[in-house]
Amino acid sequence: MTYSSFLVSEFLVLWRRKQDVFNALLFFIIVVALFPIGINSSPDFLAPAAAGIVWCAAVLAILMAVESMFKEDYRDGSLEQLVVSGLSLPLLILLKVVAQWLAVVLPLLVMMPLLSEMLYLPRSGFRVLIMTLLIGTPSLFFIGVIGAALTVSIKQGAMLVMLLILPFYLPVIIFSTLAIKAAQAGLPYSGLLAMLLAMSLMSLVISPFMTAIAVKASVN
Amino acid sequence: MSWAWFHKLGSPKWFFSWSKSWPLPVFCFGCFCLVIGLAWGLAFAPADYQQGNSFRIIYIHVPVAMLAQSCYLALGVSGFVFLVWQMKMAPIFIKAMAPIGAIMALIALVSGAIWGKPTWGTWWVWDARLTSVLVLFFLYMGIIALQNSLEDQVLANKAAAVISVVGLINLPIIKYSVVLLETLHQGPTFTLTKKPEMPAEMWLPLLFSVIGLYCFVAGVVLWRMQSEILIREHRSSWVKQEVMEHGL
Repeated sequence: MTYSSFLVSEFLVLWRRKQDVFNALLFFIIVVALFPIGINSSPDFLAPAAAGIVWCAAVLAILMAVESMFKEDYRDGSLEQLVVSGLSLPLLILLKVVAQWLAVVLPLLVMMPLLSEMLYLPRSGFRVLIMTLLIGTPSLFFIGVIGAALTVSIKQGAMLVMLLILPFYLPVIIFSTLAIKAAQAGLPYSGLLAMLLAMSLMSLVISPFMTAIAVKASVN
Repeated sequence: MSWAWFHKLGSPKWFFSWSKSWPLPVFCFGCFCLVIGLAWGLAFAPADYQQGNSFRIIYIHVPVAMLAQSCYLALGVSGFVFLVWQMKMAPIFIKAMAPIGAIMALIALVSGAIWGKPTWGTWWVWDARLTSVLVLFFLYMGIIALQNSLEDQVLANKAAAVISVVGLINLPIIKYSVVLLETLHQGPTFTLTKKPEMPAEMWLPLLFSVIGLYCFVAGVVLWRMQSEILIREHRSSWVKQEVMEHGL
């Protein structure tokens, strides 16, 4: 096994299990739809709340997708093969996260113009929403993958991962929604985007190593 | 400086015999200070000229809130120690400390709410400090839930250490981010560098109750660690000998 063959096989697995990715996206749309139905469907409420709704739904959908990332590999033993492959485990995990991120976030971005129309998001906020999703979601994946690796040996681990990881997602949600609100109000928002990027980069550095520790402990 | 004491932390047996005589005096000293601080603060300290008697809750709220943060710092540090040096005592410490930290965060939230009602007119506001203590409580609950649901001891040790370290790295970011949301809470009551603005008869009891609560928690944690050591090492011969000689 080499790094490139691993990456190719990851993409192949994602392609052949399209349904899992679809499920995450459908879940995302349903959560978004809950807010207009459950609270208020008037533009007066939705326009200022749209960014927050999209981000909360995205966080939940991404956590659902990340949570099951190692489950199948753990059950069929390929996670063990990664540990004994002689390649660097943190690097393999990094590649896996990148593949997963591309598979989940790119379709999510494609759906965004439609959803922002449905939520009456003002034009001024749309561009920033896309930017926050692009540079904010990597940190969601990197933090979430730690929780996924820690709980991979538990049968019903989804709720535990939610409890464990959601508190760490708060800063990302706060910075993103503040940036979008600032853009809608015509204020400068580049500082908030820089903070998002900093968080993504920091989690990129720390998370693969932490996840590798967790994977090794789970496999043994 | 000799590092021998640090390497000894790898041995639960050494820690057990070393710490045997510590918890009781530390606990009693803590209770003593706590009683003095609370009695002085609640009954004898002068009332605040703005807030009247409702300010007296700081004699509970401030020590508890300080403990809630210190406990997490301790968890993160011991998680790091475990990941780097594989000290056997570190996960035992995490297991003993996490529920106490969670209780401290909960008491801080509840006492803050009780104080907020007469002062701010509301039980809860989404203010930076309140939110960050709430998140801190969630982090503690996450660690406890993770430890309880992992059956494999080795994995549970690693998992708790990993999540404590990640939490410690994230805590400043969480704090900074919630500060960006509007803030209503007053500034810190105590700082090490500045002379307190309160008169001495108001801050002295607070100092007593802070020291008292720290010692109280230290005593309780030592006891919890000892019983955790006995549970984990129940197969080893020194534990059997210990129980035969001194009973439980």
